[in-house]
Amino acid sequence: MAANNPKLSRRQFLKASASAVISLAVVGSAAYYFKDKSSVLKTGVIRPPGSREEEELLYACIKCGLCVQICPVHAIKLADWDHYLSYGTPYIDVNRQACDFSCDAIQCAETCPTAAINFKIFKHAGDEAIAKLSEKYNGKLPPDVNPFEVQILAMKKADKMGVAKIPEPQQCLAYHGQGYKGKLGKTHSLLRPPGSQERIYIDEVEVNRKICDLCVVYCPLGEDAIVLKDLGEGKYLPEIKDDCVGCGVCQMVCPTEPKAIVIEPFKGLKTT
Amino acid sequence: MSFLYDFITRDKKRKPLPAKDRSNLPFAKLGFSFKEWHDSHINTHKWRNRRWAFVIFINLLFVVSFAFDLSILEGSLSGSRLIGIYLMDPFNSSQELIIGSRTGYLAALTTNFWIGFFVILTFYWLLGGRTFCSWVCPYHFFAEMGERARAYFIKKKKIRDKTYDITVKYIFWAGFLLLAYLTKELVFENLNPVGILSRSLIYGPGLALIWVVALLLYEVFGIKRFWCRYVCPIGVTYSFVGDISPVGVKFELDKCGYCTDCQDVCLVPHELWFVKKGAATKEVHFTGGDCTKCGLCIDICYGEALSFGFKAPSYILGGEIKKEKELHPLEIPAEDNKKNEKK
Repeated sequence: MAANNPKLSRRQFLKASASAVISLAVVGSAAYYFKDKSSVLKTGVIRPPGSREEEELLYACIKCGLCVQICPVHAIKLADWDHYLSYGTPYIDVNRQACDFSCDAIQCAETCPTAAINFKIFKHAGDEAIAKLSEKYNGKLPPDVNPFEVQILAMKKADKMGVAKIPEPQQCLAYHGQGYKGKLGKTHSLLRPPGSQERIYIDEVEVNRKICDLCVVYCPLGEDAIVLKDLGEGKYLPEIKDDCVGCGVCQMVCPTEPKAIVIEPFKGLKTT
Repeated sequence: MSFLYDFITRDKKRKPLPAKDRSNLPFAKLGFSFKEWHDSHINTHKWRNRRWAFVIFINLLFVVSFAFDLSILEGSLSGSRLIGIYLMDPFNSSQELIIGSRTGYLAALTTNFWIGFFVILTFYWLLGGRTFCSWVCPYHFFAEMGERARAYFIKKKKIRDKTYDITVKYIFWAGFLLLAYLTKELVFENLNPVGILSRSLIYGPGLALIWVVALLLYEVFGIKRFWCRYVCPIGVTYSFVGDISPVGVKFELDKCGYCTDCQDVCLVPHELWFVKKGAATKEVHFTGGDCTKCGLCIDICYGEALSFGFKAPSYILGGEIKKEKELHPLEIPAEDNKKNEKK
């Protein structure tokens, strides 16, 4: 506050502004430098369902974490500084906790205030499915068809986060005709098995399959996404169908190490 | 830009009122010496204690809402939902709007975003703008503690204070918006200690916390309140609404004893420019946009010259508030004195 001496005040102002402009220039160049630093998609690391394309997501996401808070299985985490400009954006590491859609209505997308996770995709898909259904039955639904379930399934299928792949069939237990007996998973992760209303911790549940088909049994999208194919001679292999959205449940419950079935992300947190 | 600056400094540019002479100072009127007057005041730290309690309460509410899955205050300080009502950080939103104006993303933003953006601006306009800083911001809380630590080192003559031109913050404000526009990234959010600290508290600490600690250390040993005073564009955004806010810290010249102790404790001392002898340009002043309404000055004032008060719209536009002549304490009728004693 050198208001009494205008000359000193002006010099102070110029000095301060110069340092401000220089620091802004440094921050700006750093932003440009780090912009493309992270460019590699990592297997098994996806963005939440409905996420926008990476470039758009980075500025659309306001980094509030409302999606983190609403997710009932705590699948979503926020990226740290080691991801450079992706700092604060949501991602899902399916090895730790996959998105099992047990919220039933893509809550992370619904809660996102900036539509960085875009709910419109899901709403549109759900509405369309309902419209088709009423068209099919002329407004008279048979008692065994639950329109809510049809709508939810259409919403789950509306956006592809990635796709499941089996890079080396040799890794798969079913390929060797082997079964699996033991804990459903090693991590303390939540999962709602298809058809069930309760969530389970996968490290607390014992399973016993004659031929290991955990990825097929626990897939939240069912037989339109993954089936177990008989290769003959007692060999089996999961076959991934068109409706797979890459939610990662299969990778999470796959008992082999390294995982036989992995998610190739379409949209994911990029690393170096 | 200059008309904006003229508006912000509208009161300062007026002709100062003549300084009161010694016999007109409040303690002299009462027949006390300054020391007697000064010693008679017990600082209860009323507002400071309330404020610290509130900062801790509101940040704890964020933490608890997530930890125990209560739907009270979800999200973080970048964007949150208070019992269903969205609240958006105004500077983050501004960056997003400016990028959106370039990429056409504006159309994609949800109604909740717009509600949150306007609700927060209206809310802090009603409450005085940078009220956010001292009553909500977790970084400010730590920085305030840092300022106390700094005062200790200054006392020990380990470091010295130097002031810089505060108008530099407007350059940072415009600069960060420009950077957002150019890079199509929320550049500021990667460096924003408010967001980093808030997220670290709620979602667990991360690497970015190193930057916050570095900033705090720099504020203690480098430039006093470097970030809050000279850089933080969130504060600047709030200061714009705070300047035209209907509330502020009210200063009544006739009760002031020119001790300037309030300026010594003030977290933004330039806002109390009018307490110096012969500096006031009006009988009644209100603090401007940078005032964080922390209440430290109100706590310390010996003559109760400072208080929270409402500004008339005419004052906001640069007009004066006429003060009714108050009775001299010795002139108060005897009956009133009895009433006061009963209390």
